[in-house]
Amino acid sequence: MSLAADITTAPSSARVSPHAVRGGLKAGQRRIGVLLLLPAAIAFGLVILYPFLQALALSLFEYTLETPAPRFTGLANFAKIAATPDVWQAFATTAIYVFFTTTGTLILGLAWALILNQPFRGRGLLRSMSLLPWVLPSTVSAFIWGWIFNSRYGVLNALLLELGFIDMPQAWLSTSTGAMIAVIITKIWLSIPLFMAFFLAGLQNMDREQVDAARVDGANNWAILRDHVLPHLRPVLIVVVVLGVIGNLQQFDTIYALTGGGPVRATAVLSVEVYRRAFEQWDIGFASAIGVLWVATLLPPAFLYLRMLVKGA
Amino acid sequence: MKNFKSMASAVVIAAGLGLSGQAAQAADVSFMSFSYAEEAAKPSVEALLKGFEAQTKLSVEPLGYAWGDMQKNIFLRARSKTLPGVAQLSERWLPSFANVAGLVDLNEVYGKDKLAEIFAPDALAMGQIGSKQYALPLISGSIGLIGNKAVLEKAGITKLPTTVDEFRTALVAVRDKVPNSVPYTMATKNNGSILLDFMIWNWTFGGEIIDEQGKVKVGNGDAGKQALSFMVGLMKDRLAAPEIDRPDARRLVAQNASAFFFDAPQARTHLRSFSGQGAAFDANVLPMPTPVTANGKEPASIQWGHLLVQFAADGKANADAPASKFISYLTSDAAQATFPLEQSALPVTKSGRANPKVTGDSFLAAWAKAAGKPKRNEVGIWSNAAELTQVIGEEVQGALLGQKSADDAIQAMQKRLETSMANVNKQN
Repeated sequence: MSLAADITTAPSSARVSPHAVRGGLKAGQRRIGVLLLLPAAIAFGLVILYPFLQALALSLFEYTLETPAPRFTGLANFAKIAATPDVWQAFATTAIYVFFTTTGTLILGLAWALILNQPFRGRGLLRSMSLLPWVLPSTVSAFIWGWIFNSRYGVLNALLLELGFIDMPQAWLSTSTGAMIAVIITKIWLSIPLFMAFFLAGLQNMDREQVDAARVDGANNWAILRDHVLPHLRPVLIVVVVLGVIGNLQQFDTIYALTGGGPVRATAVLSVEVYRRAFEQWDIGFASAIGVLWVATLLPPAFLYLRMLVKGA
Repeated sequence: MKNFKSMASAVVIAAGLGLSGQAAQAADVSFMSFSYAEEAAKPSVEALLKGFEAQTKLSVEPLGYAWGDMQKNIFLRARSKTLPGVAQLSERWLPSFANVAGLVDLNEVYGKDKLAEIFAPDALAMGQIGSKQYALPLISGSIGLIGNKAVLEKAGITKLPTTVDEFRTALVAVRDKVPNSVPYTMATKNNGSILLDFMIWNWTFGGEIIDEQGKVKVGNGDAGKQALSFMVGLMKDRLAAPEIDRPDARRLVAQNASAFFFDAPQARTHLRSFSGQGAAFDANVLPMPTPVTANGKEPASIQWGHLLVQFAADGKANADAPASKFISYLTSDAAQATFPLEQSALPVTKSGRANPKVTGDSFLAAWAKAAGKPKRNEVGIWSNAAELTQVIGEEVQGALLGQKSADDAIQAMQKRLETSMANVNKQN
């Protein structure tokens, strides 16, 4: 009998250790994972899920100052939305706002990242200073821009008067177009650092030899951007666009601080509309119904983003 | 295990700290106040709180909220069942809170006859909804026109305008002779403020927005259109400016950059503060009757005041409750002899108004004379006042900014107000 004959590959019925438990190490890790996840899950449930479900339920109720307790009305609030042109106008205003803020931030954020990716003296300082709008509280930024656009004391009017472009101060925030441009510029200014950081990270991963080779082949800057940089940044670009759309759809504070949704309703995006209905007119049920539709507009980009995250993982 | 023990210890300590925090002595009365959040009025409110604490040995927790955030915060506290003992309201907000659970009928606390004996009838009426006394007045007055003497003199105007035509002529003179001025700081930005300016001019031109039965009248007849056309004309001729709210108006008048604006008598206190001149600026503050379309007509002004409401768990309280004692103190002779005057407003009690300090205050006397017979805010009495205010503000602003004609704005206002009023109840 050889030694090899004693070695068997059949599973042993005996336990490896008297302390071993069913599932072994993997199950233990899973339990620890669940335990570590628990605080975040509880916080999510309390702070996000519960209020969301409550808002979802309230959208089916009439709940105003005259109804001390919510009264179930089914889909009446949604029918009211269908018959309220102001709400549809808020959807259109939101679409305009989201399109221009996202596109503007994308172009300027990329341009700024390309500049900051070049080697030059003081680049580190400039990169740090570029984050300033992102660090400032958004309402503070809104007030700063409010003063810039102010018709009586604004820097913009002073500059344009000095340069001779206008004869008298203009009330920028008092025209529909002027107010919309102002809120878009403010949001773009606030968002550029974040977009820039994403693009800069992407650019730093790019193979410089590829660019150098293209230059040797005679490619100009535009060709390098179009044929090499943008294809390389494609995954970053998609993430940034999706996050930008989600963030801009949710935007409230800068718009409310700068224009309050006015003049008239020129900058009343969905978030402002929900706020006005809930906290100025005290129609919580109707505001919740608008909020539900607002969330519905957020779902497609959120789904896209999650899909990318999962795929990436 | 060691980690678990550390975590458990931390939880126990945190819980202990939390419990000790809960056990800490809370104040006897909580008081939500927008005056407490205003730089000019805060010292006066603090003096009231100290006076109450010294007299009763009860403590008060002041909760300051900006005027614009006050309604929202009371509403949210009502929903979360964390209402304060006492809250300060603008008179026009009371109907919105008539259905809030816990609002105390103060007739049941102090007795209807006793209140009628103490308070001036016009002031007491501001706190009534039907047969209930849901609020007691703190200070009173009206919203009327104020002229700036220094600016008018600079423009060569020696006599205050009494008719609409004279008013317009005076505005043109200010525009032409006082550089960089806004002759009339008409409210053009905030719906709540726009409503008041429009309401006064609409009354001046003989109009009505909503009648006592809830019928919308603003689009019937020409008065509404005339009033709005007049306001639009002022904007077109640069006699008024966009982006103006009441606080902007106060600052521009205090900087001698505006000749006229509508405000409550409290404006004197704000102008003292914003001008940096204190009481020395009083000489420039001229209360004046709102110009009329023809001599002999009644000048328009709106009833105005600050109210105090009391909240209790079941809407019931007695006069010995700390919150009731606090309201009693705020409306006592001691408090009414100082606080309203410091706010440049009229006291609300009969004895307070008879006080020589009040009768001898030339500003308040001139104000009372100029106000004539202030009318009740015809929008604020409806439970959907917030929506009505938004509709009126948006339509007036649309016309002022040239987005639509005055006629179109008035017709749209009529339709939108009718829709809003379809299922609404009057609150008082």
